[in-house]
Amino acid sequence: MSERIYLLPVWIRAWHWCNAVLILTLIVTGASLHFSDPNLPLLEFSRAASVHNVAGVALASLYGLFVVANIVSGNWWQYVPKPPGIGHRCMVQARYYAYGIFRGESHPYPPTREANFNALQALVYWFVMYILVPTVVATGLVFMNPEIAPERLFGLDGLLPVAVLHYLSGTIITLFVVAHIYLGTTGVTVTSLFKMMITGWHEH
Amino acid sequence: MTVLKEFLPKIWLLLAVFLVVSPAWAQGDAKSINPELLEKIRKSNAECFACHSEAGLKNPPLPGLDLAKLRETIRDDEVFKNSNHGKMECRQCHGQGYQAYPHAVGSKQLISPCEQCHAVQVMKAEMQFDNSVHAKNLKDKFTCSTCHDPHVALAAAKLGDPRKAAAQDNHMCLECHNSDLTFAKYAPADKKRPNIDKIHAWLPNTRLHWDAVRCVDCHTPVAKTLSHEIANKDKAERNCVTCHSTNTALATRLYRHVAKTEANTYGFANSALLNSIYVVGATRHPLLDWAMVGLVAATVAGVLGHGLVRIILAWRRNRSGR
Ligand code: HEC
Ligand code: HEC
Ligand code: HEC
Ligand code: HEC
Ligand code: HEC
Ligand code: HEC
Ligand code: HEC
Repeated sequence: MSERIYLLPVWIRAWHWCNAVLILTLIVTGASLHFSDPNLPLLEFSRAASVHNVAGVALASLYGLFVVANIVSGNWWQYVPKPPGIGHRCMVQARYYAYGIFRGESHPYPPTREANFNALQALVYWFVMYILVPTVVATGLVFMNPEIAPERLFGLDGLLPVAVLHYLSGTIITLFVVAHIYLGTTGVTVTSLFKMMITGWHEH
Repeated sequence: MTVLKEFLPKIWLLLAVFLVVSPAWAQGDAKSINPELLEKIRKSNAECFACHSEAGLKNPPLPGLDLAKLRETIRDDEVFKNSNHGKMECRQCHGQGYQAYPHAVGSKQLISPCEQCHAVQVMKAEMQFDNSVHAKNLKDKFTCSTCHDPHVALAAAKLGDPRKAAAQDNHMCLECHNSDLTFAKYAPADKKRPNIDKIHAWLPNTRLHWDAVRCVDCHTPVAKTLSHEIANKDKAERNCVTCHSTNTALATRLYRHVAKTEANTYGFANSALLNSIYVVGATRHPLLDWAMVGLVAATVAGVLGHGLVRIILAWRRNRSGR
């Protein structure tokens, strides 16, 4: 049958699933708060607010752990797209998703122990984990403690830009999550990548 | 019918008083006041401020004043000028007994009552007050000036900045409800003051709310002008979405005065709030919301479509392969 390599240590898998649960919770409660409507509440407002706060603080702590663990283990290196030919490899990967995948071609850059991610993946993950998540976490923490926010900005309430940034970054993360879950079905079989995230073993 | 009978005399009284009193209104009206009259008022009030101010306390114009007592009666000229009654003479309310010093004994009883000039408001406020939590045991101890210091208060409509209105109006309530000492002065003997933050612990960011909304925004029924019918816990507002939604009650309550003037800043819903607060659920931008929802919908549709094509093509490959 297919060959297997052991790719993901336990801490990464545990982190990944905690992250997943927290982010999904935050998306649902966050949407419920932002689009709150007395006539069709997704979740009761104060319930949503308290769950969102708890999950938000948990995500902030988890992010702290993630950064530390990444430095200690050297895992951060995986997120750095490596030259030469990053652009070309991204193009090849994009062509695969747009065309090759439909013809049953195999992945152009299957993961190895040295490089878990293909170039496109590394770029996107880097952007999400080092730009978007810090933004949403930082603005969220200010949102929880509005006294840190500037009193006024451009003649409007100082919390407004913080809130809007929180909303925008949160939404883009939602887009990522949708795409990420879907791309999880593009392994050798529909479930093999999900299995990998549980067992740590990758099937080629 | 009986209700009407009960009210008819009151209404006649009201009309009568209104007609008699309306000249008093005109006198203090900010717009019609001329500079000479204003100068005269300032001069007249300066006589009182000569003693009843910080400066007067430091430099009493007369020897032998009871400074300890005077200290409790000082007023701030600047604050007074900016208050509802800032364009009035002290003497208009302190007419008899205060012209000279020492003031005549018993003058306090002669201070003009509010209804002398505000018959309509007093009647309305009193009817509402009679149904409020403070009427049951404290009716005799509460007057209009218990909450409205006639030397300080400025109506929310004139304050402009809703945060200032919130600070002023909440201060009225917190003076008692946040101080065991003051509360005990009014409360029935066996009553302990409930801790205001503990009672409202269900409200997250409690302190933040105290700065941005008023006690009366939750503790009074909705009305055209502010109702004085302060309700107890059964009737108080605890539904977050009343404020935290596009149809926020804030627009008809604390923010009603600015809501009229500020129409549509940058296309935000409830943009009147933008100047001072961001309220989750109420501060929304329709275009931005459409864009964000659209992006998510497009992404979902995109992956579903992609998946569907994959399934169909895989199925065809399988069939032709076989
Ligand atoms: C020469 C100083 C002086 C002047 C001028 C003065 N007051 Fe007073 N006033 C006092 C002092 C001192 C007290 C403290 C109580 C007392 O001794 O009667 C007082 C008390 C009061 C009180 C509280 C009295 C009470 O019965 O509790 C009022 C009201 C008052 N003054 C109003 C005025 C007004 C209005 C004016 C201006 C028309 C004025 N005063 C001018 C010195 C003055
Ligand atoms: C709109 C009416 C009104 C005007 C104008 C007004 N007062 Fe008063 N004043 C009152 C009332 C009513 C009270 C009694 C408040 C209370 O019951 O505690 C009072 C009380 C006072 C007291 C006694 C406070 C105490 O603690 O016993 C002083 C002093 C005083 N006023 C000074 C002034 C001075 C000085 C001015 C002018 C700058 C002024 N007032 C203008 C209505 C007025
Ligand atoms: C001698 C007449 C007089 C007395 C007595 C008086 N006021 Fe006034 N009050 C006025 C005038 C004049 C205005 C200014 C109206 C305006 O600017 O439109 C005013 C304004 C107000 C306003 C603002 C109303 C608004 O809607 O803008 C309030 C509230 C108020 N007074 C409360 C009181 C209270 C409470 C008392 C009793 C402690 C009192 N007044 C006693 C004459 C008086
Ligand atoms: C328990 C405290 C309390 C008492 C007692 C009280 N008020 Fe008020 N009143 C308030 C508050 C709070 C507001 C809101 C502030 C504002 O709109 O300026 C207010 C507002 C008002 C307004 C402006 C209403 C509006 O919608 O713009 C008037 C006029 C007024 N009160 C008159 C009175 C009169 C007259 C009395 C005495 C019969 C009285 N009040 C007693 C707390 C009180
Ligand atoms: C002068 C002091 C004083 C002021 C000002 C005051 N209160 Fe009160 N309040 C009391 C006291 C004393 C009680 C207890 C009354 C009783 O037990 O009969 C009370 C009772 C209440 C209650 C019912 C709670 C209970 O324990 O029964 C509510 C609600 C309330 N106040 C709200 C307000 C609001 C809102 C304001 C401002 C608009 C305000 N109060 C202003 C003294 C005050
Ligand atoms: C967001 C709405 C809201 C605001 C703002 C608010 N309250 Fe309340 N308040 C409530 C509700 C709801 C309750 C009933 C809580 C409960 O059932 O335990 C309550 C309870 C109370 C009680 C006890 C009532 C009782 O019958 O035992 C007092 C006193 C009180 N509030 C005073 C205040 C004062 C003073 C302020 C302003 C500083 C204020 N509230 C602001 C909603 C509010
Ligand atoms: C009477 C209106 C009112 C009610 C009722 C109300 N809030 Fe608020 N809330 C506000 C306002 C106004 C702000 C904005 C404060 C600021 O930005 O300074 C706010 C702010 C907040 C915030 C901070 C984030 C933000 O929007 O700035 C949270 C969280 C919050 N409210 C949760 C709740 C919950 C949960 C409830 C119900 C239990 C509730 N609120 C009920 C008016 C209200």
